[in-house]
Amino acid sequence: MAPMFDDAHLLDALFSATYEELRRLASTVRRGDPNATLSPTALVNEAWLKLRESPEVARLSRLHFKRIAARAMRQVLIEAARRRRSAKRGGGAVFVTFDDAVRESDSSLDDVLALDEALRDLARIEPRQAILVETRFFGGLDVAETAELLDVSESTVLRDWRAAKAWLAHELR
Amino acid sequence: MDRVRWERIQSLFHAAADLPPAEQRSFLSGACADDPTLIGETLALLTEDARGESILDRGVAHAAHRVFEPAYTPTSERFGPYRVTRVLGEGGMGVVYLAERDDLGTIAAVKILRDAWLSPARRERFASEQRTLAQLNHPLIARLYDADTLADGTPWFVMEYVEGLRLTDYCAAHRLPIADRLRLFRDVCEAVQHAHRHLVIHRDLKPSNILVTSDGSPKLLDFGIAKHLDPVDELADGAATRTGLRFMTPAYAAPEQIRGERVGTHTDIYALGVILYELLAGRLPFDPTGRAASEIEALILSQEPERPSAAAQREGHLVARTAGGPRPRKSEWADLDVLCLTAMHKDPQRRYATVNMLLRDIDHYLAGEPLEARRDRATYRLGKFVRRNREGVTAGVLALVVLLALAAFYTVRLASARNQAVLEAARAQRIQQFTLGLFDGGDPDAGPADSLHAVTLVDRGLREASTLDAEPAAQADLYLTLGGIYRKFGKFARADSLITLALDRRRALFGVSNPEVAAALVALGSLRVDQAKFEDAERLVREGLRMAQGSLPPDHPDVVKATAALGRVLSERGAYDQAIPVLEQVVRLDESSGAPPVEVAAARSALADAHFYAGHYPASDSLNRLVLATYRAVYGDNHPRVADILVNLGASEFDRGDYRQAEALDRQALAITQAFYGAGHYRTAANLTMLGRALVFENRFDEADSILRRALAIRERVYGPMHPMVASTINELGNIAVQQSRYADAERYFQRMLDIYRATYGDKHYLIGLATSNLATTFLYRKDYARAEQLYRDAIRRFTDAQGPDHVNTGIARIKLGRTLLRERRFAEAATESLAGYEILRKQTNPAVGFLQNARKDLVADYDSLKQPGRAAPFRSELAAEEAKAAAKDK
Repeated sequence: MAPMFDDAHLLDALFSATYEELRRLASTVRRGDPNATLSPTALVNEAWLKLRESPEVARLSRLHFKRIAARAMRQVLIEAARRRRSAKRGGGAVFVTFDDAVRESDSSLDDVLALDEALRDLARIEPRQAILVETRFFGGLDVAETAELLDVSESTVLRDWRAAKAWLAHELR
Repeated sequence: MDRVRWERIQSLFHAAADLPPAEQRSFLSGACADDPTLIGETLALLTEDARGESILDRGVAHAAHRVFEPAYTPTSERFGPYRVTRVLGEGGMGVVYLAERDDLGTIAAVKILRDAWLSPARRERFASEQRTLAQLNHPLIARLYDADTLADGTPWFVMEYVEGLRLTDYCAAHRLPIADRLRLFRDVCEAVQHAHRHLVIHRDLKPSNILVTSDGSPKLLDFGIAKHLDPVDELADGAATRTGLRFMTPAYAAPEQIRGERVGTHTDIYALGVILYELLAGRLPFDPTGRAASEIEALILSQEPERPSAAAQREGHLVARTAGGPRPRKSEWADLDVLCLTAMHKDPQRRYATVNMLLRDIDHYLAGEPLEARRDRATYRLGKFVRRNREGVTAGVLALVVLLALAAFYTVRLASARNQAVLEAARAQRIQQFTLGLFDGGDPDAGPADSLHAVTLVDRGLREASTLDAEPAAQADLYLTLGGIYRKFGKFARADSLITLALDRRRALFGVSNPEVAAALVALGSLRVDQAKFEDAERLVREGLRMAQGSLPPDHPDVVKATAALGRVLSERGAYDQAIPVLEQVVRLDESSGAPPVEVAAARSALADAHFYAGHYPASDSLNRLVLATYRAVYGDNHPRVADILVNLGASEFDRGDYRQAEALDRQALAITQAFYGAGHYRTAANLTMLGRALVFENRFDEADSILRRALAIRERVYGPMHPMVASTINELGNIAVQQSRYADAERYFQRMLDIYRATYGDKHYLIGLATSNLATTFLYRKDYARAEQLYRDAIRRFTDAQGPDHVNTGIARIKLGRTLLRERRFAEAATESLAGYEILRKQTNPAVGFLQNARKDLVADYDSLKQPGRAAPFRSELAAEEAKAAAKDK
């Protein structure tokens, strides 16, 4: 089942909704327990449960939805990372954080942004592989789901994933 | 790096990946003999692969964990002209700040929804949504002054700063007795009702959102703000509104909110019920203390609450501390139980259908009268099919829920004072209008995307209705309202059978002369207008009106409705002098009975139309402008009703010769209509036709032709080939054909038009004159002057009879006749006609109008030929002056 979106408007609207839902879920979880790790799989599943009743989403399969959610998740993280980074540098930020003492290292923010860059480079060279990475990494799809989504064999998924991992690690150094 | 290279590297990588590290390099050297650069790159990958420390291995959770922001606070942030001064408090949805306005020194509250980040796509709609909220102007609702989003998408609101105690705290602090609490609660309900009338739902009513100020009046906060916590608000135009919120305290959440179903006015009513419970019993129906959110949610969904009377009794000591005054008697408590539990019934369609009905029962209680909510349980059976349709709901369901409750209400009337009955009927009728309006585009949340679902729903309603044979009165009600809905959708055949059925049932039930029968007669008559069967329509409506007047007071809403229907019939069939006084009466009655602004506007609009057709353009325009202002204020700029008025104003400009202005108005209207209803809708066809007309008169024929063909196609499909709507489009196409010298085509068009109008209106209507005149023009252009003259004279006679000797149409026809006579070299007669036509038009239209120019030209030719240069001269100079003006404009 190859990803096919035949309605650009629908896609935009869906993306928008998913985007907001994930953003909201993410910040809820974050505030609830500072030590909790954010699992994209859990987030996406939550968003799916919430959004699947609406008629537009009901038309999509779970996998298509996750595909969009993964993209949305990526966007959410990138935007958050950008904002966070500019806040730390005092770059025109409106808000002052309560917690100015930064205990965590900065590198995670840069990593997320660099990953985004690298993925875009990859998408230019090998689009399907970039989608694969996006859905697996941001959307938390497992190997079987990814294979079904991209209409390839599971071994292809594993191979592509392995190569992409290595490449990205290299790019991010 | 390009694709080819990457693929090569990957295949090398995979080939080498599982080799022992020592062998990898030698393998690669061999494989990459042609391009040694590949070796280094592939080795790099292999190294990373061995390390296994890719970011992808760590997982996004790790990265994300550090990325999301902790709580923040703005420092001297500005929101519009307001400057934040201090924090007022932090609530579940966001932080509230006190802000001051530098220029005026006034204060306001600024609320920032930090959880409600809006995506770029949604930010644009946010602003227009706020307009509706900002228009909520009620003394008991905190005003919204401004709203926008920050750069990162966080919404903020500036609103009236309200100081006071929470509703429950206030009642406790002042030890209010039950009756006073009820009165305070009643005020709250009035405010909510006001909002509902403006199509705003609160969605998050609770005591912390209701502050009571020091003068003892409540103020409702945060209307519509809860909407922005729900990102799944509009997935497509008019899609369902859902609340997928996870509540911090779900204590006030309605079952449908918890289930993530559609919210509506019924949701607010549930919340009101819970608030009332708290005021009566001193505690919440489902006590949240010590309970997890999911537990509370489960209780709300499945557990019946203890009756407030029982709870109050148990918490006796508590209540004694916080409530003073006389305790309700046992029978009174029973009524309070019903009041409260009906409002917060788990099944939305067993609640009070509108806040108005809740208000009425509160009033009944305070007046010591029996409640309506305890009435016959049988009426609730009507709602069964709605329950089954809860999945995949649309606005139509809300409408039907109210309609059915309404139908139930109609069959159960209190035997009370006559005035009371009138008031009830008025309210009930307004509710019905509102819900029918939901299908009309009255509800901005409904709209074209849902109409299909609504029709399906109505079809299902029809099947259900047939199971109501044992309750003929309710069944008749249902048939009548369903028929009305079909009519709105343009499905006239269905509407016809249903309304006729309703009429028959009611006659059988109530006898031959009865207000219910009268209402059905009026409904059938109104449908006949849509079906262009005007004689039938007038007969039915007059009969219905007479019948209603026979047994109801003259200001009764049913009488007003029947009068308005009569006005419409008379207007549609061309009897404008009769229609105008009737419609004026309707406006008067609506104004004096305190009908909501949109109703008054609708009545004015009908009157404006009648004035327009009668040629009273200034009167028509000023009425229409009032209507336009009302519709814009209530519905916003992109509502179909606004489009309708724009078209009307355009028609007025058109008749007076300002075609450019007419085009502009028509285009505005078309954009709205098409966006709202779709490209194949009959309303779009109407707009297209008006636009086409204007383009024709601007001589932009090709554009006009294609526009009008679109309109014709739609209308033939929707109305059938013999409908006046089709005829009016054909009229325009005929005019174009004339201009483009396609006279044979033109003649065919006008002849077809004539046939349709004759069959529909009979011989006396002014449209026959119009068709005849246009037909005559084709002969004029083909130089068949005898035929042209005959037809023009016929047309003039008709116009004079139908619209008066001084009407623009009569004038135009006379000018055309003048031209025909000129061609026949009958100069004296020609001059008479052209002069007459000229005089008529000169008083009413733009002096540059083509017809006037033509008249001037012809008169010059006439008088020259008659050797009367003195009479020719003024026209000659006028002609030259207008031509010079036109030339100057073209430069």
